[in-house]
Amino acid sequence: MPAARLERLIGTVLRVGISTSSLCLACGVALFFMSGGPIASMLLQAGIIILLATPVARVVVSVAQYVSERDWTFTTLTAIVLVELLASVVAALLFHRKL
Amino acid sequence: MPIVTPALALIILVAGIVSGGLGALLGLGGGIFLVPFLNLAMKFPIAAAAAISLTTVIATSSSVSAGRAGKQLINIKLGMLLEVATAAGSLLGAVTAQFLAPSTVQRLFGIATIAVAIVMLTRLQRRNVLDASTDAGVLGGRFHDDESGREVAYRVKRVPFALGASFVAGNLSSLLGIGGGFIKVPVLNAWCGVPMRAAAATSAFMIGVTATSGAVVYYGQGQLQPALAAVAVIGVQIGSWIGMRFGQRASVRWLKMLMAAVLLIISGLMFARAR
Repeated sequence: MPAARLERLIGTVLRVGISTSSLCLACGVALFFMSGGPIASMLLQAGIIILLATPVARVVVSVAQYVSERDWTFTTLTAIVLVELLASVVAALLFHRKL
Repeated sequence: MPIVTPALALIILVAGIVSGGLGALLGLGGGIFLVPFLNLAMKFPIAAAAAISLTTVIATSSSVSAGRAGKQLINIKLGMLLEVATAAGSLLGAVTAQFLAPSTVQRLFGIATIAVAIVMLTRLQRRNVLDASTDAGVLGGRFHDDESGREVAYRVKRVPFALGASFVAGNLSSLLGIGGGFIKVPVLNAWCGVPMRAAAATSAFMIGVTATSGAVVYYGQGQLQPALAAVAVIGVQIGSWIGMRFGQRASVRWLKMLMAAVLLIISGLMFARAR
């Protein structure tokens, strides 16, 4: 059943994303309070970027799955969500330049 | 930006555990507890509080949904459809935030939470489950109901209404630093025919995308303190793990009563701060 496949796929993406980012964040915090320094802040930044990227990756995987199922209605809907997420990245960059 | 000390980190860790636990029980992101705590009790600037909170909302959404995937409680198609509206609302909310006075937003927030609490209290019996043989339609779903021990189905009604509510939820999400589940869950349950557990699971699934739209903007502006966000995320992870274990045994009726009480408390806090 394709629906169950997508659910498993999404589950895997979320699990990998959250465990990787949690690991980076936990190590980053530990280092931050022990010694600080560039490695600590690099781990913290990496953890946060992976955390922010996880929902985006979940949407990308969904678009791909709906394309492979030839479900064009949901391909369009998930593609719109992806465009909206990318638009917020663009908005962030624009705000960043303004400040 | 607040100065990071081990004591502050410990307080935020505990706040994260409490928010995450309540969030997992109620199908909320937990941000609705964390933002008032950081802003009112810890005196963080609202932008810093919202940035940390949105980060934890993403973590809750990812971990709770990863844990639930495969149980068919998450209505992925409905979630994807509503995300179109909630991500648009979230994007627009970041712009709206530039023009609205914070006190105006807080009063609107207070009114909305009271309205939703009343709905929860007056419709406590909305289980919305149908016989498993029912045709659930394109957007409907079916899952194993732990309370009755049977396979149940449900149909989704009033989709335009759900889209509108999701748009508003997305808008408030980036304005206030919350997930917006406190609007979607009651609306899906009371008006759109979705059983409580499926509504909570679908909302928790959606808020990751909603919060990402807002969090990316705060992150780009340098308003996210990475070490404190990391501590909050770890706390929320621990809390939501505890909440999910306990949530398996809690009855739906109990969950709804707790949710209504929580909404009223938050409403009071928001009005108090708007003055």
